[in-house]
Amino acid sequence: MELKKDKLTEALLLLRGASNVILPVSNDGAPVFKLWDGVAEPCLSANTSLPPKDLLFPRSEKMYDYNVKTGNISEISSNKKQTVFGIRPCDVRSIENLDHAFLESGYTDSYYKTRRDGLTTIALACTETARTCFCDSMGLSPNDAPGADIVLNDRGDAYTVKSNTEKGEEITRLWKSLLSKETGKASKASGSVVCDFKARADKDLPEKLVARFDDPMWDKLSKACLGCGCCSFICPTCYCFDIGRENHGASGTAFRCWDSCMFSDYSRMAGGHDPRPSKKERLRNRYLHKLAYFNLRYGVTLCVGCGRCVDKCPANLDVTRAMDIISEGVRADG
Amino acid sequence: MAESIRAANIEAKNADGRAVNPLLPCMCRVIRITEETPDVKTFRIQTPDGAKPFDPMPGQLAMLSVMGVGEAMFSVTAKDDDWIESSIKKVGQLTEALHSLSEGDLIGVRGPYGNHFPVEDIKGKDLLFVGGGIGLAPVRSLIRYALEHREDYGSLDVLYGSRSYGDLVFKSDIFENWPSRCNVHITIDNAEDGWDGHVGFVPTYLEEKAFSPENKAVVLCGPPIMIKFCLASLMKMGFSKENVITTLEMRMKCGVGKCGRCNIGSKYVCLDGPVFTMSELDDLPDEK
Ligand code: SF4
Ligand code: SF4
Ligand code: FES
Repeated sequence: MELKKDKLTEALLLLRGASNVILPVSNDGAPVFKLWDGVAEPCLSANTSLPPKDLLFPRSEKMYDYNVKTGNISEISSNKKQTVFGIRPCDVRSIENLDHAFLESGYTDSYYKTRRDGLTTIALACTETARTCFCDSMGLSPNDAPGADIVLNDRGDAYTVKSNTEKGEEITRLWKSLLSKETGKASKASGSVVCDFKARADKDLPEKLVARFDDPMWDKLSKACLGCGCCSFICPTCYCFDIGRENHGASGTAFRCWDSCMFSDYSRMAGGHDPRPSKKERLRNRYLHKLAYFNLRYGVTLCVGCGRCVDKCPANLDVTRAMDIISEGVRADG
Repeated sequence: MAESIRAANIEAKNADGRAVNPLLPCMCRVIRITEETPDVKTFRIQTPDGAKPFDPMPGQLAMLSVMGVGEAMFSVTAKDDDWIESSIKKVGQLTEALHSLSEGDLIGVRGPYGNHFPVEDIKGKDLLFVGGGIGLAPVRSLIRYALEHREDYGSLDVLYGSRSYGDLVFKSDIFENWPSRCNVHITIDNAEDGWDGHVGFVPTYLEEKAFSPENKAVVLCGPPIMIKFCLASLMKMGFSKENVITTLEMRMKCGVGKCGRCNIGSKYVCLDGPVFTMSELDDLPDEK
């Protein structure tokens, strides 16, 4: 099945009739996910600089209202339907990672689950990769997004449409009158994008990393880090949060918001003890969480190779460098 | 690839078995406040309709909040049919707010969180409880449990010490309730007027007592430095690390293994802990 590009607006309007539609639009030339107003042109030239995790795990999310006088506590939940269009394979994988974190590990996170149930993903396979993309080294392909409800592949004047799930089927039914049989010739070959930037992430990376917990390389790697937390905020898979409160007299609202393990007060306890007192321990924990601890717990890596942190770190820290050092270092000393 | 340590799904449930949001507190009343030491108070907590907020196992945790100030995790030191208790040392903003509460005030409570002391695995064994300072708080829940299930365990010894007489917690337990039902050995660091009990540090007292490691499990909680020396003493006395159990403290926000705050390596103290054997701790990275 394919969707001709000149039918795209119509297709999006149909989606908009059934749920909120979120898609990348240009913000001074850079694509960012926005709630679609039905008019703006989708900006699909490159991946968004900010990940789509906001849709499931908002940077600040109200949890419950309370009143100290009456003792009343009322849960706040959001069950709106959202459809995200134009999400890239790496970010689709990042949602699969967040699913592990919020829906497994013993407890189900109610807030996440409600939003997740209401989310439909329409992925767009990549037509080119950016300088810092290394998805392919992390075991995924820029040409497909198996975890999405629908995957679109750009064939020049049309998108091929592949549905992976029941939610995807619903959309192909909605689009029925707009979809046509794939024609033999495409003005552009799809499914052949190659990711050039490689990271050495062999499958025993988790064990190798854990084994080098006390390695002096962590001092070197973390030396330039500013502790700004930028890497966590722009990472599609980072999901640490803090819980806070906003008071108005006797009543107030508890909320949770993004946090970063790179902040200096992140793990400091009341009384002052901090198990991760310097940036060396904090960077090590971030990398190990992504590349080892998450694997040990859920069987998958918590980095999808989107390259955002590599691109944006103000101090030029590069997670792929750590992977290379580990892989090669272990080989060098046998 | 090491074996995945994915935990079986736990469903957070309220007292009637209905699934609930595990991050949502319920408002409870502080029905009794006991001043243990100048900076430790015990709070007895009950729901407004006179029930306990949940039924914790010994060693499990409760997230307590003073609405408008903040939340923090504490071990539940005791429970009864219709209340739970936590003993809290004043160390920061939230604990200060807790200390300024009066009986009858409302606080937020959620839990129980974490694993618990291995009450089944240690069945049939002699138990030695070693505590220092406020470290007796988590141990108290297990001592009470062992006394309630007296026939399941062998001999019970409590060895507890503090800096001074004034710093000893749970005085009514250690001097009145427990001595008739188990062996209680109390020490304070330095001699003081009016004290005719043992004087000396906990690790030294432990060695003096020369407990036999034979069929004995040790529960050891207290300040890190005391744990370190006690562990060395226990090793000298022939105990093995598998039989020495302790609890860890970490900063916590969610209590359910999500917020990322309390990890040590791939373990979350709020979920996989707070109870660990010393040999389990040896397998974790040194970030405690
Ligand atoms: S973005 Fe770079 S400088 Fe900022 S915390 Fe992350 S690694 Fe450190
Ligand atoms: S760690 Fe960096 S490259 Fe990996 S998913 Fe996060 S932002 Fe992308
Ligand atoms: S307190 Fe949030 S993960 Fe343990």
